[in-house]
Amino acid sequence: MAEVALRGVTKSFGKVDVIKGIDLTINDGEFCVFVGPSGCGKSTLLRMIAGLEDISGGSLSIGGRDMTSVPSANRGVAMVFQSYALYPHMTVKQNISFGLRMAKAPQAEIDRRVKKAADMLQLEPYLERKPGQLSGGQRQRVAIGRAIVREPDVFLFDEPLSNLDAALRVQTRIEIAKLHADLKSTMIYVTHDQVEAMTMADKIVVLNAGNIEQVGSPLDLYNKPDNLFVAGFIGSPRMNFVKGEAAKPYNAPTAGIRPEHIRLSKESGTWRGVVGVAEHLGSDTFLHVNVEGIGSVTVRASGDFPVTHGDTVYLTPDEGRIHRFDEGGRAIR
Amino acid sequence: MFPAPIARAPRSARIAYQVLLPIALIIWLLPLIGIALTAVKPGADLTAGNYFGLPSRFAGFENFAAVFQNSPIGRYIINSFWVTIPTVIGAVGLSCLTGFALATYKFRFNLFIFFLFVAGNFVPFQILMVPVRQLTLATGLYDTTLALVLFHSAFQVGFCTLFMRNFIKALPFALIESARVEGVTEWAIFRHIVLPLMRPAIAALSVLIFTFVWNDYFWATVLVQGAQSLPVTAGLYSLNGQWIAQWHLVSAGSIVAALPPVAMFFLMQKHFIAGLTLGATKE
Repeated sequence: MAEVALRGVTKSFGKVDVIKGIDLTINDGEFCVFVGPSGCGKSTLLRMIAGLEDISGGSLSIGGRDMTSVPSANRGVAMVFQSYALYPHMTVKQNISFGLRMAKAPQAEIDRRVKKAADMLQLEPYLERKPGQLSGGQRQRVAIGRAIVREPDVFLFDEPLSNLDAALRVQTRIEIAKLHADLKSTMIYVTHDQVEAMTMADKIVVLNAGNIEQVGSPLDLYNKPDNLFVAGFIGSPRMNFVKGEAAKPYNAPTAGIRPEHIRLSKESGTWRGVVGVAEHLGSDTFLHVNVEGIGSVTVRASGDFPVTHGDTVYLTPDEGRIHRFDEGGRAIR
Repeated sequence: MFPAPIARAPRSARIAYQVLLPIALIIWLLPLIGIALTAVKPGADLTAGNYFGLPSRFAGFENFAAVFQNSPIGRYIINSFWVTIPTVIGAVGLSCLTGFALATYKFRFNLFIFFLFVAGNFVPFQILMVPVRQLTLATGLYDTTLALVLFHSAFQVGFCTLFMRNFIKALPFALIESARVEGVTEWAIFRHIVLPLMRPAIAALSVLIFTFVWNDYFWATVLVQGAQSLPVTAGLYSLNGQWIAQWHLVSAGSIVAALPPVAMFFLMQKHFIAGLTLGATKE
């Protein structure tokens, strides 16, 4: 059992509060993703759970044991760093087994676990190489191998894919998801990429300026965002916001509609606009339409929708999919 | 690219470069050439006034033989090793520890302590001559190699700490954090992660300190008198006779005395591995 519970956790650097009272429970075996714009405190929060940053206020428990001031060495967590942090003077095998060797584990046990991790991550051919002789993706797998070999209760990932190229990122994302399915450990994963968050998470924690904006499953956040920030952050391309006169028909100061929930027509519709940019992705076409009185509205159309810059189109938002927000930016339900 | 490679400079600049470089080199090497020539001159050349000319005949063998016969230079060289090696081990070893502490841990007065180490370098050591001599007399260390070892270690640790602290500071801190999360103790982190990565720094610093301490003349004359603990730099002086200066022998002795630092440099050469940390983190 390794439930991670934070109670009123705060962090200040001098006079600056970077984490402002976080209450959060991450259940045993859950894949939890911290997501938010850069500087929102998500990495700091992860490092506080790892024990690499002191907790200024509140308490942290892992598996029911209070860990607030326990040194990171004794927290039973493993962490994968954004920079991989491989020991450059050790071979892959030595890197993976380092923690176990330092803990004076029996040699047979070390060999067994290293072999298991190497099998899982297809690292066998590289065991005798040094990190300098590996590609980015291989280094990342070694870093993950170093984490799983200790069989920890909790895995922490600090933006592990941000240094990989796009194709490798997708592949490694799937590997991590598979790893979670196999190991069933608690995993906490920090990213600024909402696609990673949506695809991998059981639970997403959206952070902004040191506060939790919303916690929920990926589809919860997509379908029922609590506020403007979450509505704008989750979903790609981002939600369109309609303010003022144009929002009147929807009885709210701000109305939000996702690009995929707008019907497009060349003949008639609620809003009339001129296509500014059309991005043809093959599978979809994203149109940036300038609508009078609203501004730029992003619309998702089918891949073969025949429009170009300067064409006039009509947009009709799907009434049932409109999100309404009050003056303070909170959702009206 | 700056500076532009000389091969791409205008023709006139290249010719000037090719002419001036050997001249500058010779001027730079003149004192060494002078010593080398004097070392193979017979003593008669010097009494005849042939100070700067070529030797009248090659007297290298008899001069070097005389150095070993007329003076306990073997003993002096051993004394120098007894001073230099413990100093290098002490100063470099201590500064690995102080550098690690100052680079890795956040504590009050960290910077202040670091600045104290740095500030020590700015003290002109000559002003310490009288108090340090009194101190060694009072502690009964006067005229022993231990006095030199202790003084040199203490004085070199300041510079070594500056060097080591900055080197460790430049290592990716994620390596240390990663090991901490893995449950490795601080001492094991120092021993198994930081120390192996410091090898190039340790090699460079060892050569530097070895040369500094080996070549020291000032403290060797201030703190030591007897042949049983006199280092070679100060001992060379005994090659001069009571009434006449035997510069040909002193020169030959100087060459013998300069060999160990040169050897040390070539021995440590292969440890100056550039880019040892390559591949640790992705940048």
